[in-house]
Amino acid sequence: MGTAEIAVRRRNKSERLDRVGRLARGKFVSPKNVPELLKQIIEHGDIVCLEGDNQKQADFLANALASLDRKDLRDLHLVMSCITLPAHIQLFKKGMVRQVDFCYAGPQGTAVADLVKAKKFPVGAIHTYNELYARYYIDLTPRVALIAAAKADRKGNLFLAANTEETPAIVEPTAFSDGIVFAQVNEIVDKLPRIDIPADQVDFVVEAPYPMHLQALFTRDPAAITDVQIFMAMVALRGIYEKYEVQSLNHGVGFNTAAIELLLPTYGEQLGLKGKICKYWMVNPLPTMIPAIESGWIERVFSVGGEVGMERYTAARSDVFSTGRDGSFHSNRAMGQLAGHYAVDMFIGASLQIDINGNSSTVSKNRITGFGGAPNMGCQPTGRRHPSKAWLKAGAEASPGPGALPGRKLVVQLVETFQAGRVPTFVEELDAQDPSIKKALHGVAPVMIYGDDVTHIVTEEGIANLGACRSIAERQAAIRAVAGYTPVGLKRSKRVTQDLRARGIVQLPEDVGVSPSQVSRSLLAAQDIKGLVRWSKGLYDPPSQFVDW
Amino acid sequence: MEKFTKAFPSKPLRVPKDRQWALAGVVGSGNLEVMFERAARASDTMECHVETSIPGFRDSWLAALADFARHYPVGGTKVTIHDQGAAPVLVNLRLRQAYDHLVKTKP
Repeated sequence: MGTAEIAVRRRNKSERLDRVGRLARGKFVSPKNVPELLKQIIEHGDIVCLEGDNQKQADFLANALASLDRKDLRDLHLVMSCITLPAHIQLFKKGMVRQVDFCYAGPQGTAVADLVKAKKFPVGAIHTYNELYARYYIDLTPRVALIAAAKADRKGNLFLAANTEETPAIVEPTAFSDGIVFAQVNEIVDKLPRIDIPADQVDFVVEAPYPMHLQALFTRDPAAITDVQIFMAMVALRGIYEKYEVQSLNHGVGFNTAAIELLLPTYGEQLGLKGKICKYWMVNPLPTMIPAIESGWIERVFSVGGEVGMERYTAARSDVFSTGRDGSFHSNRAMGQLAGHYAVDMFIGASLQIDINGNSSTVSKNRITGFGGAPNMGCQPTGRRHPSKAWLKAGAEASPGPGALPGRKLVVQLVETFQAGRVPTFVEELDAQDPSIKKALHGVAPVMIYGDDVTHIVTEEGIANLGACRSIAERQAAIRAVAGYTPVGLKRSKRVTQDLRARGIVQLPEDVGVSPSQVSRSLLAAQDIKGLVRWSKGLYDPPSQFVDW
Repeated sequence: MEKFTKAFPSKPLRVPKDRQWALAGVVGSGNLEVMFERAARASDTMECHVETSIPGFRDSWLAALADFARHYPVGGTKVTIHDQGAAPVLVNLRLRQAYDHLVKTKP
């Protein structure tokens, strides 16, 4: 951009602010004036960032925007990480959106699939989190960002509380390019506990009539963990965590990994692994980690977001969790994703579908969910240079070559061979490869994690070490070998499976010293939510839907 | 409801004679019960009786049982399965648990 153009942006911003006139008193806007103010500060065709994070939602501002019509605002280019709320879907139904660039649409996945079918979802691309934040600085810089904070002071400084999430990653590129930052807050106070966003970067503040919506995403009730999940957790602990001495890691948020967290103080302790594995984590404050933290397994946790009910516990354990000067929990999605990419030795998570090449996806024809953060962590960080035991060991197993990295990150898929309702996890081809979905995404199938990045697949049948495979055919055979009695698994050759097992590329549970007769619910350090509360010494406050006492 | 019976070739069971039977799991929604008993029949086959509340998965059952009989020495046993809609992933676990009980625990 030349200086003339920059000047235009700056002049345009002051024109917008002039139009606001008496709709605001300084930076402060009354809730009833918000729809009219949005009409004045947003112009047709603008790039607008509507903060919808994985957890917190600028829902009051989203509802205000959705209360407008095409005649008020049109051709908007929405940039937002998560399409979460009905109000987000309204903007498309009303025809106000020219393009959308996003990451994840979990709760609205079905609505998004319907919009795609109706050709009312003009998508640029589905991104991974850091990919989208990076584009905010380059070619998707918002003209207006509508964000959510916990509190503001009278100058417009913002406090983000436990859910910092991606607010800084939205505000900085907007504020430093003459964009307009408009924050909804739960409360305006005289003095903030700490300042997370300086008033200098904030143009407008509204005290919303209701507190922002927070999704309780990561609470897993130990009572719902199954015998099979406990069994798989034991196999993973011995076959991966112990074998590679994994010290730094990221966990997905499913029941499979929750089982592993709850086995550390029991089964892990019996195996003598305390202090040898699982010391450093990039993960949200999962309630199921409380027993391992209280048993002294965990040195450090950094989080991309908070979790409802964990506020008092995390504040009390500031030796483990990141906390502000005020003592309360702090998170940061962009930095957490960066840490999950470069600073951990293992990503382990689950997926809805895995194809015979190890590609995985959570997209189906009737539900388009996108990615979120998994691909930033479930991939090989080829810019990594620092060694660790796990990284070097996985690297030594991979195909050698003069141009190859010396190490590899462990990228592990922990899945049961069937999902609920007897739907096979393993498929010959992903639903994400459906021509209509690919067409809507300009030819790019929404693959979450690519097979080339995956080092291991763990199922109840055993472990496939894809990182040690020497050919595509070998990788496919290894996947079929652990795909159980799904159609993909039934096609395996017994002779080839035996050969892979002899070479350690396929390992059965007994090969890593796990016997099904060891499986017992009593191995879970907590049996239910109440057990987690007890471990936390009463500091964990579970959301009401999890409380039955 | 679907019922079927089939015998699979297997190596003879190597367990003291006093261990007559073993059980894993329970008949309950989403679960299944697997019982091993010594059979008077040939010592080189595993005789299977399956009763499942969900019809249409006979091929998967047969494949899983054939693999199990090939993998573990269970010749000379009769295995009875009462399935109440267990997830397929649970079937193998219960089979292996029952086998473990048969070979490792006192009667």
